[in-house]
Order: sequence, then structure tokens, then C-alpha cells
Amino acid sequence: MERLRSSEKRGKALKLGRNEPKILVANRDLVLPGQPLAVGPIRPGDYVYVDKRGVLRSTKVGLADIREGEIRVVPLAGSYIPREGDLVVGTVSKVAGNTILVNINSAYPGVIIPPRGLRGRARAKYNLSPGDLVLAKIKAFDGVSAPLLSIEGEGLGKLVGGRVYMINPTRVPRVIGKRQSMLMLLKSKLGPEIVVGQNGVIWYNPKSLKHALLMEQVLAKIERESHVSGLSDRVLRLIESSGILDPRGSEAGEV
Amino acid sequence: MLDERITAELVGDYIRELAASGQRKDGRAFDEVREIKIRPGTFTKAEGEAWVSLGATQVLVGVKADVGTPFPDTPDKGVLISNVELLPLASPTFEPGPPDENAIEMARVVDRALRGSNAIDMEALAIKSGELVYMIFLDMYALDHDGNIIDAFALGSLVALSRTRIPVVEVTEDGEMIVKEETFDLPIRDLPITFTFIKIGDALMLDPTLEEELVSDAAITISIDSSGRVCSIQKRHGSFRVDEIKRAVSIARSKYSEVERILREQGGLV
Amino acid sequence: MPLIVEKKPEVLITEDGIRTDGRGPLDLRPIKIQVGVLSRADGSAYLEWGGNRVLAAVFGPREVHPKHMALPDRALLRCRYNMAPFSTPERKRPGPDRRSVELSKVIREALLPSIFLERYPGTAIDVFVEILRSDAGTRVAGVTAASLALADAGIEMRGLVTAVAVGRVEDWVVVDPNHDEDQWGDADIPVAFLMEEKEITLLQLDGPMTQEQFDKALELASQAADLIYEVQKEALRRPYEAVRLEILRRGE
Repeated sequence: MERLRSSEKRGKALKLGRNEPKILVANRDLVLPGQPLAVGPIRPGDYVYVDKRGVLRSTKVGLADIREGEIRVVPLAGSYIPREGDLVVGTVSKVAGNTILVNINSAYPGVIIPPRGLRGRARAKYNLSPGDLVLAKIKAFDGVSAPLLSIEGEGLGKLVGGRVYMINPTRVPRVIGKRQSMLMLLKSKLGPEIVVGQNGVIWYNPKSLKHALLMEQVLAKIERESHVSGLSDRVLRLIESSGILDPRGSEAGEV
Repeated sequence: MLDERITAELVGDYIRELAASGQRKDGRAFDEVREIKIRPGTFTKAEGEAWVSLGATQVLVGVKADVGTPFPDTPDKGVLISNVELLPLASPTFEPGPPDENAIEMARVVDRALRGSNAIDMEALAIKSGELVYMIFLDMYALDHDGNIIDAFALGSLVALSRTRIPVVEVTEDGEMIVKEETFDLPIRDLPITFTFIKIGDALMLDPTLEEELVSDAAITISIDSSGRVCSIQKRHGSFRVDEIKRAVSIARSKYSEVERILREQGGLV
Repeated sequence: MPLIVEKKPEVLITEDGIRTDGRGPLDLRPIKIQVGVLSRADGSAYLEWGGNRVLAAVFGPREVHPKHMALPDRALLRCRYNMAPFSTPERKRPGPDRRSVELSKVIREALLPSIFLERYPGTAIDVFVEILRSDAGTRVAGVTAASLALADAGIEMRGLVTAVAVGRVEDWVVVDPNHDEDQWGDADIPVAFLMEEKEITLLQLDGPMTQEQFDKALELASQAADLIYEVQKEALRRPYEAVRLEILRRGE
């Protein structure tokens, strides 16, 4: 009850009417599993469930995200669960006949099945062996059988050279940033070759060992401080204070 | 999680490249030990204990005392039993079940360092010759595995043993055992310190992280006693040249006093 | 031969309801919780409750080995409760015994209703509860820590599970029995609640009680769980708040 009352105060901007939802948290509040978020006519979004009495509750530790007609939770913890359309970076774990199994940092190993009738270059793309790193798209996932991956498309397929950094998958949206702002920042300052898989596997090709060490520091900072606002500024300061900025870097990033 | 071996393959080139240029991923020098911390507090019901972290690696060591019959060939010595449990909560690759060969190797290496340096005065643990002696159970528990668990175990064992207090037991003339209220300190005569090195290419690195361990070509564990003598060695996987082993021993000897000081300051050892 | 011999206290509870550790019948022992203490586990929690020391860790959802154990429509929840050899006055032989197998099961059943297992078909969620130091009430301490480790692992949940024991000592119903009461008391009742809906997910009873005493015991357990729940929530928030505060202090 206490939480209900204090939240009403915080939510004073909301006009409470008969057919309007009662929102029990403020936007960007840290919420916990089971915590009541809202009552009434509002759509439960990601990581929100409706209990027997019609109360909308969080299923995860995360930040409340209140939008027009919907409340959802941006999770701060959890492993990667595939979703159709996601870009993922994985490693080929097994090639069995026509089936290529890919470890995508998830409880569900991905599968690539080369389309029939491919020849020449188009077919060569599927000559993958265990240990190869690939960028793929989740084409289909029904939540039960292995997610089907596709490497048909610009930039998809085997990644050659470069390095890998693993991050908690819940932090991926912060590595990318609003309208890709963080990713653009990283590309412009540290080199254009970086691919961020939704599964938390990041591939990048640094210009030098120094760039690689700085990239590791930057990604570790994003992972740790992802839920605190002003992250872009702090990341920029870290990069600038390192003193290894490549003057050509910004040009390369705009390509 | 990506399979550990695959992760190692992915970061392997990077770690090797860094090693070739004299660097490590976490910025340490090759002969630099990660931060050693001894967590204050009481965590067990043991007679001596220590929760030690070595970087992100964490172990808990407990020493329990009991009495029993001595081994026939050492009627005037106490008994030391060392046991390692690699708990499944310490790593996704550890499975529940009895200790595997890695766990048993670690337990025996720590045990040999203690015996090889006469760290515990085993003769002081006899109660009645050939009949009754103290039995010391050294239980080493891995909690969080980020590489070099064995050195963490060895450090934790030293602190735990040094803190061990045991109830005095007496045997009366008619053979009755009496457990007294008073206690005595487990008699510690030496402080053998264990140093594990790995080899990546030509680089010899002290105190490897898990990633470094997985990438390594070879590993060796060396214990040094307080007078600078080598008191146990275990070459683990891979192979070393003679000069590399000599170098490892000399680095271990040179690091002894630094680690000993940390143990004395943090572990409250006298 | 054990070196420690325990003696039954002459008085377990005074006429005024003072217990052997000085608490009143309704008082809980102090509880301290730290979330996210292990680096390799997907989620973890360390809990101190009176003299108990408990570490809980969660791995998953992950692939099931052996594969044939996988369930087609939901995750397989596995739980292992284990006592360290140095957790008891007399050294405990490593490895499972009948008691730890039973407790593993009841802890799993206590946590199960709180998890949306159907969101992770074909996978495994592994919960490990290690008792480092036991001092009465290890199973309820284990459930309380394990639920936080699940939340820390980001497993989708209906809410947290909170557990507490109540007991009977002579004519008194007492909250959170201590070692003496556990050993020589008349009844022991561990209870776990799925807190937001106050559903009971673990209930055991050992020792005779009148219906009146039992009703009172459940009521007291529910009230005590409310207090513990606050400690749990605060512990779960702390790591996230800590980073935020540190940046505020340092940055500006």
C-alpha cells in the first residue's frame, strides 16, 4: 500500500480518470520481479505479466519504460533468447552433412541450412568449418526447435580476422544507442569495423593493439554503467583521455 | 555462454599477440600477482578458515580437527587430509559429483607443499603414541573460477591453518579420552607459498586468469618455503625448456616476500 | 570421534518468552544479503542469517545435458542443496545424503511456481545452494538466497520467493528457531511464500501442534516473511544503485 501511495504522488502528471490506467512507477524506475507496475487499461509490453487480479507486474530486474498505452520493462539481467530478425554473431560448432550448427551464446544453438541450387560464389559462402565466426540473422524461431539462421544478405556470413568481446546481452541496446548513436561514436573514434550481435557477441577489427585495449575498456564501461544516464559523454571522455585518437578515425566512420 | 574452449579460441589470438608484445589483457606485468584479498568474517564452523580472492577467483578453505588412530608407519605424527571440491557454482564447466583428476591433483599439490616444507609440526599432533593423534581435515572449496584456483587454495590453506585453534584432548591412565575447554594453536613452522606460471609462446606468466589458462601452452606450479627453498613442483599440462623452469623458480623466489607480506597484513598471520 | 559435545540448555524459553539467544518469540535473527557475488554464475546471492552462511548460484537457461532430459514445453529446473564439510560442528563427509536429496527437492518445488518455465522450452535452469555454515533454518535461507540468484540471472519470474521457519517451544510459537530450538524444540515449520500473491510454495511440519498453534504459526510466518522480503528487495536493488551512485560521486 505504501508503494501505491508514493507512486501516485510521483505520477501526478497522469490524469486519473475512470477508464485510465493507474501507473504505479515512474518512467526509468528500477523495478524488480513481481513488482506491481500498473492497474487498468494499459497494454503489458516486454517482460510484463498480468496477475490474477489484473495487476501488471514485472518479470525481471529492469527499468520501467512507460509509453503511450503500453508499459514494458527494459531488462538489466538475463541471457540471450533468440528473436526473429535479430543479428547475431556466433561460432560454427559442427558441420553435419548439409547442416551447420552455430553456437550463438544462448541455450538454443542456431542452425544454418544452405539453400538448394546454389553455385559458385553463392555456394562458397557456406563452406564453413568448426571455429569459424559468422554474422547471421535469425530467420525463424518458434521457441522450441533450434533457431534457423540465414547468412544471405549484405555483410552476413563468415567474419575474418578481428576480435571478439562478449557482453551481457541485455546491454546490447546501450552499445548500439538511440538511433545507433553509441555505435556511430565507437565507429568514428575507434574504427569502422564493428558488428554488434543481439546475442552479446561483439566483433571488431582494431587498427592496433592499443585500439583493441581501449575498445575493451570502453565496452566494459558500457556494460557496467549501462543503466545510468549520460553514458555517451562518459564513454567519449574515456576515449579522449586515452590519447590515442586517430585523426583519420572520424573520416573513416562516416563512410 | 559460448563454450569456454570456443571463447578461448576467439580471444586466443589476441592474448597471444599481447603476450608477444609483453602485455596482458588486464594490464598486469608478467610477474604480477592479481589482488589478493582475505574476506573478513566468519563463514564456516571450522576450527580455522579463510575466504580468499585472487582477482575474480574466490575460494573458501576450512580446517576441521578430529582425533583418530595414526598411520602404522608414523605412530607419533598427526594426520593431514587434504580435499578439494570444484563446486558446480564456481564455473559452468564444473559438474556435481566426486572430485575429478584435476581436483585431486590440486589437493595433492597443496598437500605436498605443506609437507615438503614441514609447515605443520605433525609431531606436536600426537596424543598417545600409536593410538591417538589429531586429524586435520583441510577442505578447499572453489567458489568462483577465474583461473589459477590452485594458488588461491594454497594461500587460503596457509591462512586457514594459521588461524586454526584446536581443543586440547588428553588420555587418562585408564585410556579414557577427555576433551578440554582450553584450545591450542595448530603449530605452524613454515609458510610455503605457491606460484603458478603458464607459458604462452615464449612468455612466462605468473597467476593466469581463466582466459590465459585456456590459451596456455603449458603450466607449472612451484612452492617456495620461507628460507627460499623449493619445496614442491608440479608440471601440469604442456612442456617447458630447462631455462624456462629455472626462470620460473627464480621469479617465484623473488616474489615470495611480497606475497608473504600480504598474507601477514591481511590474514593476520604472525 | 567428535571434539564438540553439545549440551541441552536448561531453559529453552523463559516464562517471559526470552529465548536462549536473548530474542523474544517474534524476533528474527539478523539477515544480510549480497547479490551478484560470483563472476562465473549467471546469477548469485550470498546470505548471512543468524549463524547461517549460504551461497546460491544459478546457471541458465542453458542447453540440457543429457539431451533426453529436456522438456518440450518448458525449462527443466534442477536444484542441488549441498552442505560443505566444514558447515557443521563435526566434519560432514562430502557428497549427497538422503537429507540433502530431499531438501534439494523441496527447494526446487518452492522456487518452481515463481518461474515462467514455459518461456524457456527445451532448456535447463540449474540452481546450486551451498551451505557454508549451518545454524538452524538452512533450507529457508537457501530458498531466500536462491530466489534472488534467479532474479539476478534475469530469469523471468512471477515474483520473489521468501522463506522463514517458525516453531513451537513448549507453549510458545516462535519465529525463526535458533540452533537450540531446532535441536530440542517441540515443532519446526519451514514455510516459503511467493510474496506478491502470498502463495505458499514450501511447507513442512515436524512435531505436534494444536490447530490454534498452527494457525498462529502460519500467521507469524507470513508477517516475518514480509520483513525478510524488504531485505531481499533492498539487496537486489543495491548493485544497480551502487554503480549509479559511484558515477554521480566521481563524475560531477
